Amino acid sequence: MNGNATTASPSLFERGMLMLREKGDLELYANVFVIGWAVIFTLWQGVGFAVTLGTVFCIWAILSVSLNLVVGYTGLLSVGHIGFFGIGAYGMAILTSDTSYELLRTESIPQFGLPFFAALPICVLAAGVAAVVVGVVFNRFRDDIYVLVSFGFAIIAFNVFLSWRALTRGAYGIPDVQRPQIGSWVADGEIEFLALCVVFLLIVVGISWFLVSSSFGRVLKAIREDEQVAQVFGYQTTYYKLAIWVISAMMAGLAGGLLGSFTTFVDPNSFILLESMLLVSIVILGGLASIRGSLLGALAFVLLEEGMRFITYLPSEFIGQVRQVVLGVMLVLLMLFRPQGLAGRYKL
Amino acid sequence: MTRRWIILISAAFAFAAFACGGGDSSEDEVYRVGVLESLTGLGETYGTVANNSKQMAADEINEAGGIDGKRLELVVEDSKCNAQDAITAYNKLTDVENLKIILGPSCSAALLGVAPIAQQDGNILFSGLAVHPDISQAGDYIFRNAINGEKNGTGLGNLLWDDGIKTVASLSESTDYAEGARLTTAEQFQKRGGQVVAEERYPSDTTDFRASLTKLINAAPDAIFVASQAEFSGGTAIKQLRELGYEGPIYGEIVSVGWTALEIAGDAATGVKAVVAVLEPGNAKGQDVISKFKERYDYITLAWYVASTYDDIYITAECLKQTGDDQDADGFKDCLNNITWSGAIGDNYSFDEQGDVTDVAPFIVEVLPTDERTADNQGYRVLAPAKSE
Repeated sequence: MNGNATTASPSLFERGMLMLREKGDLELYANVFVIGWAVIFTLWQGVGFAVTLGTVFCIWAILSVSLNLVVGYTGLLSVGHIGFFGIGAYGMAILTSDTSYELLRTESIPQFGLPFFAALPICVLAAGVAAVVVGVVFNRFRDDIYVLVSFGFAIIAFNVFLSWRALTRGAYGIPDVQRPQIGSWVADGEIEFLALCVVFLLIVVGISWFLVSSSFGRVLKAIREDEQVAQVFGYQTTYYKLAIWVISAMMAGLAGGLLGSFTTFVDPNSFILLESMLLVSIVILGGLASIRGSLLGALAFVLLEEGMRFITYLPSEFIGQVRQVVLGVMLVLLMLFRPQGLAGRYKL
Repeated sequence: MTRRWIILISAAFAFAAFACGGGDSSEDEVYRVGVLESLTGLGETYGTVANNSKQMAADEINEAGGIDGKRLELVVEDSKCNAQDAITAYNKLTDVENLKIILGPSCSAALLGVAPIAQQDGNILFSGLAVHPDISQAGDYIFRNAINGEKNGTGLGNLLWDDGIKTVASLSESTDYAEGARLTTAEQFQKRGGQVVAEERYPSDTTDFRASLTKLINAAPDAIFVASQAEFSGGTAIKQLRELGYEGPIYGEIVSVGWTALEIAGDAATGVKAVVAVLEPGNAKGQDVISKFKERYDYITLAWYVASTYDDIYITAECLKQTGDDQDADGFKDCLNNITWSGAIGDNYSFDEQGDVTDVAPFIVEVLPTDERTADNQGYRVLAPAKSE
């Protein structure tokens, strides 16, 4: 009795923690809190802006989830994912662009005039085919060399977008990429497009969740932990790695197709290596081997980056540079205190 | 412990949100317009120059009493020189800040990404830097007082032919601007009867051009044409061209004979000819703007674009004076369609039906020897107006 009486009473913070623990998963509460805050924050800034951010989030979330399948679940650190993203975007642009090239001064490319919903599966397939070709080569490498060859793929992809001018118009970019259309209904409004992106994000999350929860997913995790052991148990790890690589690339192609239609203009600068590094950062920020983490990472990154636009009292001459510095510092701090990411279980 | 960090991070997010605050409420005593420039990213050099020049002009207007007593407030956003970021920045300016008139973007790619949305929304985009030839077709809410790159290319193609050049080889950076310069120059040169014997392109991060330049030299052209997006690469290419022993004539465009490019190229650039938008020496207003910019920011580069973006603000002020409403994009559009302006880039210029600036022509310039280059002459002498037909 006396012993209990001398124990220091828990602080308010600790009592709060205790109460939340009793109620359930604390991480879940934190996630809900961040997401809730995100919705309130963006809506507070204006519905139109919130819808734009929501769309950007969905596209990056699809990318992030897809890359996490490769990096987080399978342990293959790829920095070349932006190439598949670009293939999707260029696929959408080439197949649906409706520009009157005879009015333009710069060079023209073949026009296919496909509607969005016909072009999107082709974008996904094109990314998948490219992934098969690249993946067969990549499967020969592991660890550090894998990073280097994926780096090489990102460089090659960018230069193809830039140099294959007969198909991509090179540095000029492709304008007038079409928005989704069904009959006379055109999703030219931002809310309709957001709704479409949400649907695709849910599909991607559903497929990913199914994959990682299945026996297939368990083999992927085994490959991440020790590929040789997985092989000893009779698994043809090469096929597993190739399969998840292609699935992941197809998801990235889907995200690229959505981006092309969203911006209605595609040029090579959206697919530079820096974007690839940002994507890897998002995956790590959210947490490796966690689909929920990928969603959180994409959300946190989009909000941090776009949230920088709302920092007030900065000198207008340096506003862009200062925002980037602040963003960089925040990312460093996050990684310092949460090296496994917001919801991850593993470190690189 | 880790869970505590999650809570703390979440709290930090929340705090950041509320600390940053929402958009300003509209004030009766202020005209608010957006500035959408590439403050970071590939076009940071141009975007920063443009932003600084606009701030300088806006400060002048406000110090002189504003626009009929109302202050001019610039709300600055970063387009990062790409379409996706330009769209989110545009939406922030229009949806959060509730702006209808946006000055920029400076990068053509960003402008072409935003233009369809601005056109659909009925909002004004007014750029002082974007020269992509296709912007002419972007819509009737899209204006620019940057000279369409096609005019410069046509002028350079004519210059090559008139200088007695029969064959040319080109080195161009793989960007929309440099590619546009190469394309329009080659087209006009070939139209006059010239022949392009070799073409080489390089990505923006290239620093060693010797392999490409050697191929161009081996094609034995009468002249070599350099088109770059960054002054660094333009100056380096010209320097390396001379280091490889090439003694023939070199031609360039506005970036490859920019002040920084000439500093890098040094004596190798002497005698290089280019067709550029240039502030006429007799244009006192233009020279005054350059002096003020140099005094305020302690540097000067791309002088013509300092002047064009400076003019953007004064033209905007005039149109706001006429419409009396920063939400009246249609009135602003009518103002731009009907305005005749005398400013830093020239006298009595206006905008054609495609929103392109008219009555401002590029000039032929020749780079001076290093000891004759000064900040006032920008390193070259003006020879004559370029032929635009």
